[in-house]
Amino acid sequence: MQGKERLTAKELFAITVLMIAVKIGDTTPSLLAQHGKNAFWLMAPIAFFTILPSYLLLMHLLKKYKDKNLVELIEHILGKRAGKLVGLALFLITFFSMTIDTRNYVEEIKLLYFPEATTSLVFIIFMGVCFFGAKKGFETIGSTAWVLFPYIKITFILLVILILEEVVWQRVFPIWGTGLGQIVMEGMKKSSIFSQLIILTMAYTSLRKTSMFHKGALFGALIVIVEITFFFLLYCTMFDYNSIEKVAFPFHEITQYVNIGSFFTNIETFFMIFWLLAAFIRFILYLYFTAWIFGAVFNIKEFEPLLLPFGYFVVILGLMPKNAIQNELLFRENYLDMITPFFLILPFLLWTTAKLRGEFKK
Amino acid sequence: MFGLFKRGNSSKEESKRPLYKDLKKNTEEVKKLFSHGVNSDFVYRKVTSNTNKEVSIFFYASIVNSQKIYDGIIKPLFESEKENLRSVIILEDLAESYDFDQVESDINSGKAVIFEENSDRAYAVDVAEFQHRAVEKPENESVVKGPQEAFTESVSVNLSLIRKKIHDKQLIAETVEIGERAKQAVTVMYVSDLVNQDTLKNVRERLNSISVDNVRNIEILEQHIEERPYSIIPTLLYTERSDRAASFLEEGFIVLMMNNSSACLILPVTFWSFFHTPEDRYLRFLFGNFSRIIRFLALIITLFISAVYVAITNYHSEMIPPDLLLAITSARERVPFPGVFEVLLMEISFELIREAGLRIPNPLGPTIGIVGALILGQAAVEANIVSPIIVIIVALSGLSSFAMANISLNYTIRITRFIFIMAASFFGMFSLMGAFLLWLMYLASLKSFGTPFLAPLSPRYPSARDTIFRKTAIKEMLRPGFVKPQDMKKK
Repeated sequence: MQGKERLTAKELFAITVLMIAVKIGDTTPSLLAQHGKNAFWLMAPIAFFTILPSYLLLMHLLKKYKDKNLVELIEHILGKRAGKLVGLALFLITFFSMTIDTRNYVEEIKLLYFPEATTSLVFIIFMGVCFFGAKKGFETIGSTAWVLFPYIKITFILLVILILEEVVWQRVFPIWGTGLGQIVMEGMKKSSIFSQLIILTMAYTSLRKTSMFHKGALFGALIVIVEITFFFLLYCTMFDYNSIEKVAFPFHEITQYVNIGSFFTNIETFFMIFWLLAAFIRFILYLYFTAWIFGAVFNIKEFEPLLLPFGYFVVILGLMPKNAIQNELLFRENYLDMITPFFLILPFLLWTTAKLRGEFKK
Repeated sequence: MFGLFKRGNSSKEESKRPLYKDLKKNTEEVKKLFSHGVNSDFVYRKVTSNTNKEVSIFFYASIVNSQKIYDGIIKPLFESEKENLRSVIILEDLAESYDFDQVESDINSGKAVIFEENSDRAYAVDVAEFQHRAVEKPENESVVKGPQEAFTESVSVNLSLIRKKIHDKQLIAETVEIGERAKQAVTVMYVSDLVNQDTLKNVRERLNSISVDNVRNIEILEQHIEERPYSIIPTLLYTERSDRAASFLEEGFIVLMMNNSSACLILPVTFWSFFHTPEDRYLRFLFGNFSRIIRFLALIITLFISAVYVAITNYHSEMIPPDLLLAITSARERVPFPGVFEVLLMEISFELIREAGLRIPNPLGPTIGIVGALILGQAAVEANIVSPIIVIIVALSGLSSFAMANISLNYTIRITRFIFIMAASFFGMFSLMGAFLLWLMYLASLKSFGTPFLAPLSPRYPSARDTIFRKTAIKEMLRPGFVKPQDMKKK
């Protein structure tokens, strides 16, 4: 697509980390904690290592075909018709995860900082920013992500340093929480929380060199899993097993615990602004990738005009769940379980088909 | 109306006419063209030379050096035994012209034009001496440590200032003529084995595509060649410092100069070229970087402090430590206006002081201080129009904005500040961060003559990584890759 000579591994690294690691700041931890209790931090690596083989296989395939992005690859291997169908499924999955996630974030902002505002207003502003941001194109989003990346991460590290004194490490015990079996099972079911790794391969051909994609994405994924696991561990050891499942937004909860010296005692807004920047970038990317996948499936070269209708539909559909609880515990929970098999199987399906068709021998 | 058009067209065709063979006819034509007799400083001199040749000389008395005309043209004509004008006139620059169009532009640019008998060519001798200031200290970009020569309103002086700094035969000063009616020369300077040829071509094309009657100086030229006239971000760097222009030239940038401007334009630019000052480089590594941190801080403060104050006091008051919160509330107790209104009131007053302070005649200068400090500061607080804390906030944001020395960036930041205040008043930090992100993305999406505005921060290019901080002078071995110079290495 556009801007081939611009983006490098650095930007992709920032994009990968910002797109996925922001999950430490939303309701994902509390969602996992419903099943894993104080051992839910283990579910993150389990989920990650479940999806990792599929992801690596996909990267391997992309490397083999060199100049194809995800949708082009699917269409090339599965053929026009089946490829379009899978592409459409991919689009729908991405679109609905975006819708559910956006509502989730909007509720978070509203509940924590603007309790008197209406959800729809916050939603419209949020999507408005995302729309105008996405309209600037992938290279700009990448650059912005990289420019902001250090500041966002520095504040997160600051938060970790400040919170460490509150942490009671013994709370990791019992180490398997509600039981090893359940943790592994639930962790595997939720491996779709890393599904963005696969969606990001849409950008495979948009960097200066494709080798940069491998470098940026793999290094990004590494940081993501380390960061998520560490933060989840912090939440576990902060709240212990009884309260962890009742905390809706652990990230914002812990920002309320920290203070710098005895004068600056309520600095949660400080962390909130960087979290907010990260969230904006995440949904700008989400919106852009959704339109991108749609454009690729339906051969629309100039897909940027699609951003506005998609943004609009996200607001309309996102407002449909009655409340945050329904959105979170019913829709998001089940949705994540539902889409997991798709992302786990897709690369294997592609690989097997390619193998059967003898593509690798050429 | 139609008559006007017709006349315009015909005069254009007329000016392309070649010269006559006859001296009398030529003389009459030029006299007519320049309204000789009405135009008081237009001089026509008829000379009969030593060899009994009739010669007509034309020039504008106000823009030539008359001593030079006497020594270099008239005296030799009377004394020389030679026939050929070329060997009679010994001045350094003698050009031939064959049509009235050329003759016209020669005379306008300060040349003396000589016609001889039985010849359809004229000789143009460069005897120009336009009036201009001497080389003075930079007024708007002062430094404590570093050279103190600023550009002046004469390209030849400016060229000499630059050539003094770069002894390189590859340093080219190319002239491009622009303007349809009254032509002006734009000097395009570059180091020919460094500059990126595509950028140079682009610049030439843009200069040639300007179709207006007259472009007097680079301040106006800037608006003609920039890509986005409506953008709040400038895409050409305007500087009056000759050392700055020279250092940019050596890195492969292009410099534009014109006769009537005591500054030059540098392109392509990045955000960093606006953010840096030449002094960062003249100071030692640590000191230079210290001043950059301060300036970066000033940038953040001036952009955000008013907006953050509005956001926090209106939407996130829990963030303010209790003692401070009490202090603010008690100060605001008697103020009737909402916080945003107060901030805007003071910010606008500050802008007023700044604007008025610029325009006010020098003898009245001190009045501004009295009006500004006393009436707007103290009296407004005592009258409970604004709270004292607002005065501090706005003073801080105003003060910090002065640290952004570059005039263009300064405006960008001042306008952005108002956008941010409005955004913050709408939905607190949420909308402020949204506005900031979009502003930043706009910055990242911009290009100045093909160069991304935030390079080399992102997208990355091989370069000396001279962004917020700089390296030590020894370690800066690469030219900025985003300009795509022909030679990357400095050693």
